[in-house]
Amino acid sequence: MEIAPLQLARIQFVASLGFHMLFLSIALALAWMLLFFKWRARRGDAGWMAAYRFWVRIFALAFVLALASGVAVLFQIGSLWPVLMERIGNIAGPLIGFAVATVFVLKSCFLGVMLFGQRRVSDAAHTLSVLMVAAGMLLALFWVVALQSWTHTPAGAALVDGRYQVADWWAVVFNPSLPWRFGMAALSAVLAVAFLMLGVTAWQARYRPAAPGEKAAFRTALVAAAAAIVLQGAVGQGLAGNVAGHQPAAAAAAAGYWHSGAPPRTVLFGWPDAAEQRNLLEWSVPGGPYWLGRAADGSPLGMDEFSGMLPPVPAVFWLLRTVLALGALMLLVSVATLAWPGRRGLDPDALPRGWLRVISAMTFSGCIAVVAGWWMAELAREPYAVYGTVTLSEVAGTATFGQLAWGLAGYGALYALLLAAFVQMLFHAARYGVVPVRKGGARP
Amino acid sequence: MIPALAASLGLDPSDPAFWMPLLFMGLLFLLVAGGAVLDGFDLGVGLLLGAAPPAERTRMMILLSPWRDANEFWLLLGAGLFFAAFPFAWGAIAGQLYLPLTLMLLGTVLRSVSFEFRLRANAATRPRWIAGFWLGSLLTAFSHGLLLARVVTGYADQPGYLWLALFVGVCAVAAYALLGATWLAMRVEGLLQRAAVGWARHATRWAAAGMVAVSVVLGLANGGVFYKWSNLSDLVVAAAIWGVMLACFVAIEMLLNRMARGQALGLAWLPFALSVLLFLLTLGGLGYSLFPYLILDDLTLWDGAAATGSLRLVLAATVVCVPVMAVFNVLAYRTLFGRERGAEAVAAASVPRAG
Repeated sequence: MEIAPLQLARIQFVASLGFHMLFLSIALALAWMLLFFKWRARRGDAGWMAAYRFWVRIFALAFVLALASGVAVLFQIGSLWPVLMERIGNIAGPLIGFAVATVFVLKSCFLGVMLFGQRRVSDAAHTLSVLMVAAGMLLALFWVVALQSWTHTPAGAALVDGRYQVADWWAVVFNPSLPWRFGMAALSAVLAVAFLMLGVTAWQARYRPAAPGEKAAFRTALVAAAAAIVLQGAVGQGLAGNVAGHQPAAAAAAAGYWHSGAPPRTVLFGWPDAAEQRNLLEWSVPGGPYWLGRAADGSPLGMDEFSGMLPPVPAVFWLLRTVLALGALMLLVSVATLAWPGRRGLDPDALPRGWLRVISAMTFSGCIAVVAGWWMAELAREPYAVYGTVTLSEVAGTATFGQLAWGLAGYGALYALLLAAFVQMLFHAARYGVVPVRKGGARP
Repeated sequence: MIPALAASLGLDPSDPAFWMPLLFMGLLFLLVAGGAVLDGFDLGVGLLLGAAPPAERTRMMILLSPWRDANEFWLLLGAGLFFAAFPFAWGAIAGQLYLPLTLMLLGTVLRSVSFEFRLRANAATRPRWIAGFWLGSLLTAFSHGLLLARVVTGYADQPGYLWLALFVGVCAVAAYALLGATWLAMRVEGLLQRAAVGWARHATRWAAAGMVAVSVVLGLANGGVFYKWSNLSDLVVAAAIWGVMLACFVAIEMLLNRMARGQALGLAWLPFALSVLLFLLTLGGLGYSLFPYLILDDLTLWDGAAATGSLRLVLAATVVCVPVMAVFNVLAYRTLFGRERGAEAVAAASVPRAG
């Protein structure tokens, strides 16, 4: 099989973006969880404070990874898609500029106080700085999603002589898919962190009785997980409707629906084969998914309407099913734990060991769903970089296959190493407690 | 000069489409210069970890920590400003620089993460993160040289330029090592200071060779720059800059010679100050030669700038960031010069137990 440089560039960009978004999501949702812990600890409750102390270290690790990989993504937008900025620079420039400015302000003003200044400022000032970090991260995510959602549903700007000119910034930022995509991004971040917390705490509880801080974290995470997954179901429906309306090709690919007008079926399993225009090994039930684009006469649009301009069908098809399966599992586990007879589910020590094992097996389910969700969103837009107007092949650069292959290998090795280090340090901390951090030197 | 430039573009000097890109360019230059010098000594100390005895490495890392937060921001801010204000140049430039940028990013990510993870890692894995910080610094410094070589040759890709790029890459490593070593020589006393003086002496010559190579190639490989320099008044300025740079190198060499023999230790700050000056002169000369182009003789900063409406938004973000940046950097860097403080010395001395 021949792999074109374009394919390598796509893989590299999507992989980098996934890594960045994973840690941005973890840091974002952890910041809000930490704010909650800090607020509950305001009367000096040692349990909530212990939960804060443990998870703030994990937050610091995730924040560093998110920041560092964010710089990489920023440069890759230019080095992998040189012509993209020529097309959308007027829109991407300010939005990314706002994201960088937001991160700069939150980091230089508040993060230092949050991580290293707890003993030097009053408790209220420290809590305030946690709040500002959490709010700042949410705002940074907002700018990123504003740009990402605009590339899906480009509104408020017109392509003039190969360059988008903005007519209405309000319409650009609050484009039709922004509310759904921002909601999805924020909720999936909460879900990822909630399951990370549940899984780590359950893992600890399997070996020794849970400490008050661990119980506090478990309770919070359980409620957050159940709330986030239920809300995500609602937002997901909205997003599916939005995609069906604006990106019927993506909707048909996700549904595995090939022939326009045929009675749609809900495909549970199969392998979409572009050559044969059908799903191999299909296992489906009658009754179509509602998220199919409709022609003017109301008949569903299949992939045959968009031949040559389809996203990578098997990838979109399977990423959606991965996300849905993980979501169903997380819903099941969180609701079952929450509804455990006699409210014992809120206390990890009261749960049977086998169920703790199930929960700890789910530790990274939310994280995988975050990455799969972002990958699906990126792949579903293909072959476009800006849906309907700018294709990826048109904005691709001149880097050769060899260069891209070395670059991809380098990023792959580094990101695998950092991921392994993060997981190792998470479980080391869970087992032996956090390593005391001292920052040498005369910080003001 | 400003009215003439504006007239050549057919714009009024008070037109935002004229002055906003110029303002952003000035700011960007400040960020690049700040990053090269202030992230530069950090990078240099990182490079020297490879030469330092293992017992001193932790101390060197701790020496850096007060500035780390501030240092690592220059790249993100510079990239963010470039991206936001000059989006049409971003792709055109970054697309030419895939490999060096990839090296730089791998290095930068490894450096940032290694530094922060080392603080939070258990004792057994700390040496690995120090090695990661060293490797990241090496990749970053080398890639800066590659980038510089590509920029000064106008992105020419004939085979001969590969050797130039590799040479400038090595020299960039030396230049950062010089900056880091002279900073260390100022910062600490005793054996580490002795060692730092020795490293600085090795690095000086390579740094000088690199700076000469960059300026010669910049003039000879680009007709526009050569023409600019051959203008008599410009030639005087250029010659004066080269004279000052030569004097800096000679002074550094002499001072380091004395310091190696244990003399002139009261002037230990001077080699660092002169190295900073050298960096600023090199960058200043480069900026002056390129101006008003972002890509030589091809794309001016006005061609690369976003539409005025977008620039206004970027300006709004900048107005928020600049005061924060000023306060933050003054607080962070006010202790940059001078000796290791008591608190640092205590932290450094207590490291084995803290581990």
